Amino acid sequence: MINVRIIHRILGVLLLIESGILLLCALIPVFYSEDDLFGFIMGALTSACVGMTALYIGKSTKHKEGAMTRRDGYIVVAISWVLFSIFGSLPYYISGYIPSFTDAFFETMSGFTTTGATIIQDVEVIPHGLLFWRSLTQWIGGLGIVFFTVAVLPIFGVGEVQLFAAEAIGPTRYKLHPRISVSGRWIISIYLLITVLCAVSLRLCGMGVFDSVNHALTTAATGGFSTKNASIAYFGSHAVEYVITFFMFMSGINYGLLFFVIFRFQIRKLIEDTQFKWYLLLLFIFTAIVAISLFISTSYDASASVRNALFHVTAIITTTGFTSTDYTLWPPFIWMILGLCFYFGACAGSTTGGMKTIRIAVLFKSMRNEFNRILHPNAILPVRINGKVIPTSTRQSVLTFSIFFFALVFVGWFFYLAIGIDIAEAYGISLSCLSNIGLTIGDHGCNIPWSDMPAIGKWFSTFLMLVGRLEVFSVLLIITPSFWKHN
Amino acid sequence: MKIVIAGAGNVGIHLAKLLAGENQDITLIDESPEKLARLDSSFDLLTIQESPVSLHGLKEAGAGNADLFVAVTTDESRNIISAQLAHYLGAKKTVARINNYEYLQPKNMEYFNSIGLDSLIYPELLAAKDIVDGMKLSWIRQWWEFAGGALVMMGIKLRDNAQILDKPLAELGKELPYHIVAILREGVTIIPSGSDTMQAGDLVYFMTMKKHIPHIRRIAGKEELPDVRDVIIMGGSRIAVRTAQLMPDYMNLKIIESDMERCDKLTELVDDKVMIINGDGRDPSLLMSEGIQHTEAFVALTDNSETNILACLAAKRFGVTKTIAEVENIDYINMAEKLDIGTVINKKKIAASHIYQMMLDADVTNVKCLTFANADVAEFNVKEGAKITRSQVKDISLPRGVTIGGLIRNKEALIVTGTTQIQAGDHVVVFCLEGMIKSIEKYFN
Repeated sequence: MINVRIIHRILGVLLLIESGILLLCALIPVFYSEDDLFGFIMGALTSACVGMTALYIGKSTKHKEGAMTRRDGYIVVAISWVLFSIFGSLPYYISGYIPSFTDAFFETMSGFTTTGATIIQDVEVIPHGLLFWRSLTQWIGGLGIVFFTVAVLPIFGVGEVQLFAAEAIGPTRYKLHPRISVSGRWIISIYLLITVLCAVSLRLCGMGVFDSVNHALTTAATGGFSTKNASIAYFGSHAVEYVITFFMFMSGINYGLLFFVIFRFQIRKLIEDTQFKWYLLLLFIFTAIVAISLFISTSYDASASVRNALFHVTAIITTTGFTSTDYTLWPPFIWMILGLCFYFGACAGSTTGGMKTIRIAVLFKSMRNEFNRILHPNAILPVRINGKVIPTSTRQSVLTFSIFFFALVFVGWFFYLAIGIDIAEAYGISLSCLSNIGLTIGDHGCNIPWSDMPAIGKWFSTFLMLVGRLEVFSVLLIITPSFWKHN
Repeated sequence: MKIVIAGAGNVGIHLAKLLAGENQDITLIDESPEKLARLDSSFDLLTIQESPVSLHGLKEAGAGNADLFVAVTTDESRNIISAQLAHYLGAKKTVARINNYEYLQPKNMEYFNSIGLDSLIYPELLAAKDIVDGMKLSWIRQWWEFAGGALVMMGIKLRDNAQILDKPLAELGKELPYHIVAILREGVTIIPSGSDTMQAGDLVYFMTMKKHIPHIRRIAGKEELPDVRDVIIMGGSRIAVRTAQLMPDYMNLKIIESDMERCDKLTELVDDKVMIINGDGRDPSLLMSEGIQHTEAFVALTDNSETNILACLAAKRFGVTKTIAEVENIDYINMAEKLDIGTVINKKKIAASHIYQMMLDADVTNVKCLTFANADVAEFNVKEGAKITRSQVKDISLPRGVTIGGLIRNKEALIVTGTTQIQAGDHVVVFCLEGMIKSIEKYFN
């Protein structure tokens, strides 16, 4: 059965870490002398208290000590995401800038899952401390809360493999180093590098320091929170758009491959990677379709068509969700194409959401094989990724994942329809929460009108976001009865 | 010459028989008494029943003063260890049979030399090369390149439509761009002289240069045959995998394999261009549905020689122009030839001839053991003052059953005729009946 002591101990440590991060964020209100300081202090204290309690329970001898199992890993990961969101929402709630707890929780979950849908009507009146915390939630969630904390502070010594397995993105993994925590640190270094480069580039493009840092954090996390109401459109700079496009693209590449390119200079490894090729292909095809459609059907000239197409297709395929204009003002054909891109996601092993390119590749190849099978009924038709045949079990789990993903999109769609949301918009919200994009389609603009939605809709959205971020099975697994049965 | 062979498997036994006929001192070492028993009583060689990887056994077999140590057990790692041990004991030259393509890469050779392996052979790869060569020029039964490709020798089956039938060779004309080095008629190898003729049904071996290949194709009446584009291989053996990897890009390959597990394994070994089909390659309806009628080449590589021969015959009925069968049973090779199987592959012969060349005293760089004709092809570098340089070829009394096909002089290839004067420094390609190489060496040294 589950290992109560270890779970409590790990959760306790995680909460203490969150408390520490909140305290660090409290320096910003001190610097700007703003009134959200109290929220951070209280949030940190509450988090620390609960964390200490959990540690205390973890230390008590009432429960049996034992090794950590896969089961424990899944429980820790799922619970830690919820706990992090609960305590992470305290600064918003206590400082009073988001007066409803539902909304504060929603904002935090949207942050940690890198969805980037925001409940805040006017972002620009929010103090710097809260804005930074909001961007930081995305940056922490980008690689995974547990991954981030474990890789930065190797404090547990046990169960790292189980924890990483439960939180991993994508069906296959690239091992960089025999020890998983060492691989973790390499990946964090790449993440940090992308973030710093992005911040510096944005600063050079004329963005303020605070905005540069925040946008860099949310770009590298493919999150999409902005410090401005109009998102990237506020800056009105083509250079900023191109810089953001480039770093969204980089963040959508498998970090294991980036490791080989940056630290081992093995560019061939990236170029020959099946997933990377498909990522480029998807970006190219959809950018081309959107750019041509824009050029034909709107008043944009060629360069504006390409720029807008590239920016939005990249923002959506990497599941970042920045906008430089309201694309729902374009003809419906174009935003429906973008709506199709909501599914894909970028490469597995990056900070992206969605289905992940590798699954798209496997799905496509499986479909092509089915046609071949009709012509050659006796043929053995394998699916190859990077020249290697992927095992049937992986293929099956990709297919099952896809079915679950589609099913959840429909469940969400019907749910939003039931609470009175327009048909196209309901589809957009459901898919975008599950893919962690944070935009929608329809006649009412690309931003989701959360203020009109009842509380149940917001709670349901946070559920979809978490399910999408933890790749469906991790969350659904712990609500199946068999998970809780002995053995 | 003292030769120790480790492993009395197919290759080992074939090699031992071949060499025992040459009056070499052969010692065969193997753990299995059954395998050795048959040899001991019927061939002139010594057998030692010991493990090829035990120092004691190798000492007993005399590996320490062997001129050549050949490790050809079925297990690659045992071969490598065995050869290393023999080298340690003092064997002059070691050869090990391997199953791994990586080991053969030139950059790794230095390492293998440093651990005491002088040479590696990979019979499956050699067989695959023969198959691919056979498909590239499907109208040619057998194909060899000499001196880096300057000279080629090809075996062609002549049919009624050939232009050069029934004329004595002397009347075909002077300064021909080819030299007919052997004729195989009804299982008998003839090294022809000017009065011999070619007849329909003969397998004729031409020695020529690459630029004259279209001319030979025309006079042999092979112009209307299509080039090979679609290939079906029956049996997913290791040779099949190697063939798939060596095949040029323009060919499409299907491999038919009856064992499901092997099929799954095959998908991991070959790439996307190759289609793996699970089924029996002898089943006509399966072959029909996989388009045998539009296939130019059919290669049968199952473990079973009879199956391979029969499947090739069936494929011929569907109109496949090029059939290749792996026949491991040496007694069936002549039968397969009579049944008009295009090319016969025999791993043992290929491996044995490869090893055979390593132990010839002369400066022979390339000896091929012909599968159909009971004949050897050898290359010699002519030494200063050698017998052969004393007069024109027609005036030197070469033994019967020997002919000089061509030579390389100053990097130029020449076809040898009766009036050719061979000079010191020439690199000559000689064709002779099996086992005669030793006796003709003296003409060139």
